[in-house]
Amino acid sequence: MTGGGRSIIYLVARRELQKRLGGRVFRVGTLAMIVLIAIGITIAKVAGGSSAPSAIRVGFTSTTATLEPAFSSWATGAGTLVSVSDVADAAAGTAEVTAGTLDVLVTGSPSAPVAVVKDTLDTDVQSALSVAVLEARLTAAGLTPASVAAALAGTHVDVQSLAPAPPADPERSGKLAAAIFVAFLLYLSIALYGSFVAQGVVEEKATRIVEILLGTIRPSQLLAGKIIGIGLAGVLQLSIIAAATLVLVQQTHIVSIPAVSAGSVLVYLVWFVLGFLFYATAYAGVASLVSRQEDVSSATAPIYIFLIAAYVLVSIVVPDPGGTVSTVVSILPPFAPILMSVRMATGDATAWQVGLAIVLIVVSIAGLIWLAGRIYSNSILRLGARARLLDALRGK
Amino acid sequence: MELGRGAVALATDPADDAAVDSLTLQGLTKRYGDVVALDGLDLEVPGGELFGFVGRNGAGKTTAMRIILGVLAADAGEVRFGGTPLTFEARRRIGYLPEERGLYPKMRLADQLAYLAQLHGMAPTAARVAAATWLERFGLAARARDDLQGLSLGNQQRVQLAAALVFGPNLLVLDEPFSGLDPVAVDVMSAVLREQADAGLPVIFSSHELELVERLCDRVAIIDRGRVVAHGTVAELRAGAPERRWVGAPNAPVHWGEGIPGTHLISRENGRMLFEIDPGADDQALLQAALATGPVREFHRVEPSLGEIFRTVLEEDGT
Repeated sequence: MTGGGRSIIYLVARRELQKRLGGRVFRVGTLAMIVLIAIGITIAKVAGGSSAPSAIRVGFTSTTATLEPAFSSWATGAGTLVSVSDVADAAAGTAEVTAGTLDVLVTGSPSAPVAVVKDTLDTDVQSALSVAVLEARLTAAGLTPASVAAALAGTHVDVQSLAPAPPADPERSGKLAAAIFVAFLLYLSIALYGSFVAQGVVEEKATRIVEILLGTIRPSQLLAGKIIGIGLAGVLQLSIIAAATLVLVQQTHIVSIPAVSAGSVLVYLVWFVLGFLFYATAYAGVASLVSRQEDVSSATAPIYIFLIAAYVLVSIVVPDPGGTVSTVVSILPPFAPILMSVRMATGDATAWQVGLAIVLIVVSIAGLIWLAGRIYSNSILRLGARARLLDALRGK
Repeated sequence: MELGRGAVALATDPADDAAVDSLTLQGLTKRYGDVVALDGLDLEVPGGELFGFVGRNGAGKTTAMRIILGVLAADAGEVRFGGTPLTFEARRRIGYLPEERGLYPKMRLADQLAYLAQLHGMAPTAARVAAATWLERFGLAARARDDLQGLSLGNQQRVQLAAALVFGPNLLVLDEPFSGLDPVAVDVMSAVLREQADAGLPVIFSSHELELVERLCDRVAIIDRGRVVAHGTVAELRAGAPERRWVGAPNAPVHWGEGIPGTHLISRENGRMLFEIDPGADDQALLQAALATGPVREFHRVEPSLGEIFRTVLEEDGT
């Protein structure tokens, strides 16, 4: 009788997976998360629709009304949206500006008008107004409107900048939103499924079923099966949430950026798996030191701190994802799953940084599996008082 | 967790010519710090035998059982089954009822038993059938789809025993299988253990209920401070114990009975006296002396109970 190790790990993993899939956290949690995402996308869509640039309202008095056509055409030509109207007199126009129903009042004479504004005058409006005045003066000086227009048309200065600023990324805000969302989801999932592993380890210890289990299977098989089963449940839940998000995003056309594509979702799943393996293995090791469910959170706290730190660091990485600090912290194994995902979502992570982060975390996971496996094997059958970490390591 | 580190294979190893399916413990030693839990424990349980393991709390019974199961490593000594050291694979065929009961509280009985059976190497379908069979046997078929945590403690205990039996073990190791059971459950449990032994398995169990052990077991070992201090059939243990006689001599004077050669007066109640006969002494001398006081209404031999043997043995062991 060989009773292959692989099939035992499979049996243990399958039990854990079935248990999680049947649990409330999975069913209700997945649904709640999808509903939250749908609400978030709806809000973003509504808010985005109303934030389209609105026209600048410019009022002309009877004395400056002759400037109106020229101003409108120059402003439109410069790409500025304006809506032009006539006001009864300067006093009424000033009152409208004060009340906020008018942005600019053009009063005075056509050759020397005064623009009345609440605080500042839009530079495009000012240029359009200046050109209109120039046109009026030249016409008054005897040039035909056609020759004036011909002379003024095409007056354009080419700009040659020596240190050009990078072009503004029109998708920047969408990418940042996606990055923050990805960070939140990864943090939540790693924390949740990691704690499932810790609780499962202690449950088996507290109910003493380990003594029966370890009479027939090895500690490493039990631990591996548990981590694989719970991890698969996490991957499945994240995949469902991600698929729902992709469908919602495509249906609403809210953002069409690489951060929210099927390919990038696969990358985030890989980061979940790496982060989960890192934290779940460490959790399993420390959880095996205690015998009661009440002690789980205090035992896992020293490790949970790193996960919280990773989440807190998101607020440092998001404003400056390409910076040195962001680059360094996103490569460190405890933070990489969340922070490198953020920098990949914003498009600031380079290939070598991602590669280095993956190598480091894989090496760390291998080390943790050895370390936590040793602690687990040595303390899983030890009941009562909390086992000391060093004793567990030495196998005393 | 490998056993037998530091064990010396002796040329005169009794396991060499033992029955193929007998369990042998040889020189098991285990210390917890300064506490000696096992001090060179030797034991042999042939297949087909129901073997009782008795001893005070802390005598080393549970430690010995955990070492047999491999959930605890011995400092020295060896566990053999069928003549060869117990390997991990061989241990998977041991049905084990641990001292501290434990199963998954939130798992259905049928699922739980089938899962454990599969961990022990059973095919999925066979495991389902075996789980249903054992639940039926223990009168729990109607609860098969219930979670364990909803059951009474006595019923949980039955499920625990079913968990030890469900995969068809080659050897049964049961730590206090009778504790917490009602009389009906005790009968069911006794019948199951007997049946398993009759099927050829070595069945080793510990218990503090000595009357039960006396009634049920083929052989008994009394262990104290990590060593076997007496073992054999109950009759053999009795043979080693001093003979006792009740003497009913109503006319005997108050202080009669003391100082009769070859005997000790143990107790006196309502004109009846209990004597212990020294090994090799003649009980007829006691009868003659009794007749000398007048009529003798009663003169009979007392079989010491296992409980009395147990106490005697421990007294002789110096505690």
